[in-house]
Amino acid sequence: MPEGRGPLRLSREEQLRVVGMHCATCATTVTKALKGVDGVVDANVNLASGTAKVVVSGARLRDLVEAVRRAGYDVVTERVRLRISMNPEDSRRVLDLLEGLEGVVRASVSPGTGEAVVEINPYSTSVEAIAEALTSRGFRASVESRAAPARRSELREYVRSLAVAWSFGPLTLFLQYTSRPLLAMMASAPVVFYAGLRYHLGAYRALRNRTTNMDTLVSTATLVAWLYSAYSLAAHGPVFFDAASLLISFLLIGKTIEAYIKERLSAEVAGLLPQRARVLRDGREVEVGADEVKVGDMLLVRAGETIAADGVVDDGKGEVEESVLTGEPMPVLKSKGSPVVGGSRLVSGFLKVYVTRSGERTYVAQLMTAVRDAEAARLRVQDLVDRVAAAFTPTIIAVAAVTFLAWHFALGAPTARALLFAVAVLASACPCALGLATPMAVLVSVHRLARRGVVVKDGEALERVRDVNVFVIDKTGTLTEGRPRVVSFTELEPGAMDLASSVEALSSHPVARAIAERFGGGLSGQVREFNEFPGDGVSGVVGDRQVIVGRPEFIAQNCEGEARGDVAVCVDGRVAGWLTLEDPVRPEAKELVGYLKGIGRRVIIATGDSGPSADLVASGLGVELVKGLTPDGKAELVRKLRGEGHRVAFIGDGVNDAVAEREADVGIALAGGTDIAKYAGDVIVGSLRGVEDLLRESRVAVRKVKENLAWAFGYNSVLVPLAAGMLYPAVYISPPYAALAMSMSSVIVSLWSLAPL
Amino acid sequence: MPVDPVCGMEVKESTPFKTMYKGRTYYFCSDACLREFRRDPERYLREGPKGMPSA
Repeated sequence: MPEGRGPLRLSREEQLRVVGMHCATCATTVTKALKGVDGVVDANVNLASGTAKVVVSGARLRDLVEAVRRAGYDVVTERVRLRISMNPEDSRRVLDLLEGLEGVVRASVSPGTGEAVVEINPYSTSVEAIAEALTSRGFRASVESRAAPARRSELREYVRSLAVAWSFGPLTLFLQYTSRPLLAMMASAPVVFYAGLRYHLGAYRALRNRTTNMDTLVSTATLVAWLYSAYSLAAHGPVFFDAASLLISFLLIGKTIEAYIKERLSAEVAGLLPQRARVLRDGREVEVGADEVKVGDMLLVRAGETIAADGVVDDGKGEVEESVLTGEPMPVLKSKGSPVVGGSRLVSGFLKVYVTRSGERTYVAQLMTAVRDAEAARLRVQDLVDRVAAAFTPTIIAVAAVTFLAWHFALGAPTARALLFAVAVLASACPCALGLATPMAVLVSVHRLARRGVVVKDGEALERVRDVNVFVIDKTGTLTEGRPRVVSFTELEPGAMDLASSVEALSSHPVARAIAERFGGGLSGQVREFNEFPGDGVSGVVGDRQVIVGRPEFIAQNCEGEARGDVAVCVDGRVAGWLTLEDPVRPEAKELVGYLKGIGRRVIIATGDSGPSADLVASGLGVELVKGLTPDGKAELVRKLRGEGHRVAFIGDGVNDAVAEREADVGIALAGGTDIAKYAGDVIVGSLRGVEDLLRESRVAVRKVKENLAWAFGYNSVLVPLAAGMLYPAVYISPPYAALAMSMSSVIVSLWSLAPL
Repeated sequence: MPVDPVCGMEVKESTPFKTMYKGRTYYFCSDACLREFRRDPERYLREGPKGMPSA
C-alpha cells in the first residue's frame, strides 16, 4: 500500500452516505471506486441503506468523496460556516488545520473576513467539534449564524482601542519630551498593554502553534521597545516609551480603516433588505422588523419603499426597480400575479404582496450566502503568497536581529539606537498587505457583481473565466426567449396536428406548450399511456391511435417515412406531419455575441433542436452551431472541446443544462427564477448582459490582485532596508513612522481594491 | 418489472431514464445504460444485456 498523502494515521473507519445508487451494479461501482483510492484498506457499500463503510489508513476523506463523485454518484455532506479570529496571513495554516481534522471533506477560508466554509461528513463530525478543535489550537472559532454577520463588533473593538491609544499616546510623547520618563511609562502602559492587547494575544497564539505572524512582529517590536525603556529608566539611560505607544496608535488607525471598509462592504449586500416592513395582521396595518415577516404575510409597499421579502403581487400596481435581480435600472410594471423579490424598490404606485419566501430563503439572503462563499476563493497566485507569508515573519525577525547586531557591534552604535533600528524593522514589515491582496480584490469584485445581478457562487470562477476562449451557449431559453411559436406545419394525414397537440398538452416543455396552444389540444382528456422522453419527445394513445411527437431523429427511429421540420409527428407508426417553430432571439444575445467575438472569443451555439430554425439563429448571429444535442450531448461537446485544450464556458439555463455547466471550466446560468440554490453553475446571471459584466470584472479582479501583490512586495523590499538604517542618517524611519507606513500599506491594498479603476 | 436491455437489471417504469425505439419503450437503470443503448440499440436488442457499461 502506498504511503498515502497527508499524515500517516492508524487505520480507522469512515462512514459515508452515498446517494444515487439504484442498482446492485452501482454498489459494486462505488466499492471499486473507493478501493481504488490510495490509502483505503477496505470498502463495504450497502445498497439498501445507501451507506459506505470505508477502512482508511492515510487516505483523505476528500479523495474518497471525489472518487465516489467521479463514479457518477454523490456523497451526503454538510456545509457549515465558522467565524475564526485570525490574521489574514494565517489563513493557510487554518486551512491546513481544518482539512487535517477528521470528518472534514474540504474547507475554504476567507482571509478578508475570517470566515471559513467547511464541508463535513455529518456522520463522523459536527460543526461544534470543529469549532472546538480550532479553539483548542488557539484560533477562537464560533459557529456562524447565517442571518447576521457579526462584523460590526470588530469595528467597535478597534474604535475603542483607537480611542485609548490616541488619548494616552500623545500624552506619552508630551511627558517623555518634557523629561518625565516615569510618567511617560505610566501613560504608555494602557496603549501598549490594553490597546495593543490583541497583538500580544495573537503573538502568544502563534507561539503556541509554533509559528509566527504579523502579531509576532508587532508584539515583539513594542515589547522590546517598552521593556528596554523600562530597564533604561531604572539605569538612567535614554527611554523611548513614545516609540512603543505611537507604534500601536498608528497601527490601529490602519486596522480601524480596514475594519470599516470590510463592514461597509458586507453591509452593502445585507443592506439590500429594509429594516422594517409593514404587514397586514388581522386586517390592520402593523409595522414589524423585516426579519419577522413570515410566509403568508401580506406586505404593504408604498412608492419609494424597498420590498422586504419575496412574494407575489396580490393587489395594486406599480413600477418596481429590480436591479438587485437583473442589474437593469429600468423599473418594470408589476400588477396582480407578478412575482417580486425582496430588495427591489417600488418606484411608483402601491403594492400588496403575498409573501412566498422570507428570512433565509429570500433571494437576497441566498445572494448573501453565495457572495460569502465566493469571497473565500483561492486564486492560483495564493499558493505563492502563502509560501512567502510562511517564511516572511521569521525572515523579518532575522533581519531585525542582524540589524541590531550590525549597528551595535559592527558600527558601534549605542544599544538604544541599535535597538530602535531593530524595532523599526519589525514595525515596518507588513505581511498583512500580502495576506489581503487577493481576498480584498475578490471581495470587491464579487460584491460589485452582486449589485448588478450577477451572483458569483464560485469565486475562483472569477479568475478562470478570464482564460475562457470558447463560449458554448445554449439556444433555447438562453439566446432565445424560450417561448417558441409554431410558424408553419405540414400535415400528411389530416387531423395529425389535433392528435399531436392533444398529447403535447400533457407536457410542460415549451415546445409542447407552443404546439398545444396553436392547435388547441382538444382531445387531451382522452390521452392514455402518456409517456415523456426527456430531450426526445412524448408518446400516447388517443382513442385507438398511437401518437408520437418529438425530434425528427426520435421519430425516425420509431416510425416509417421521412421525418422533417423542427418537430415531427408520427401516427400509428407512420410519419404524419411536421412543424417548424421559431423562438425569437433576445436583443441582449446579439450584444453578447458581438462583444464576445469582438474580444476574440469563439462562440458555439449548442441546441437540442435539430430542425432548420436553429440554423437561422446561428447564421443570424454569425456563429458556429452544433444541433440535435441531448443534455448529455451538450456535456459531451464541452468535454470534447476541453480535451482539445480549450477553456470552455457554458452558458445555459442552469437546470436542463446542469451537467454541461458542471463539465465546463466555468458554468454560467441565466436564471429565470430567483431560487439561487436551484441553479447549477459557478455564476448566475439575471440577464445575458451579466456575462459581459462578469468578464470585465474578472479582468479587473485579476489585475487588482497582481497590483496589490506588486505593491505589497515592493513596499516591503523598500521599507525594510530603510527602517534598518541603510541610508542613515539621510533617511531615518523611527519605529512609530515605520508602523504608520506598515499599517497604511495594508489600507492602501484595501482602498486600491475598492477603487473603480 | 421491465428489464434494462443494457445491464440486465430490473428497473421501475417511473425512472427518468427511458427511450422509445421502434415503437417500444425501454427503461434503464442509469444514464450510462441509456447512453450506451442510444449508441447502438440494435446490438442490445439482438444480443441481449451485456452488463454495466464500463465508461
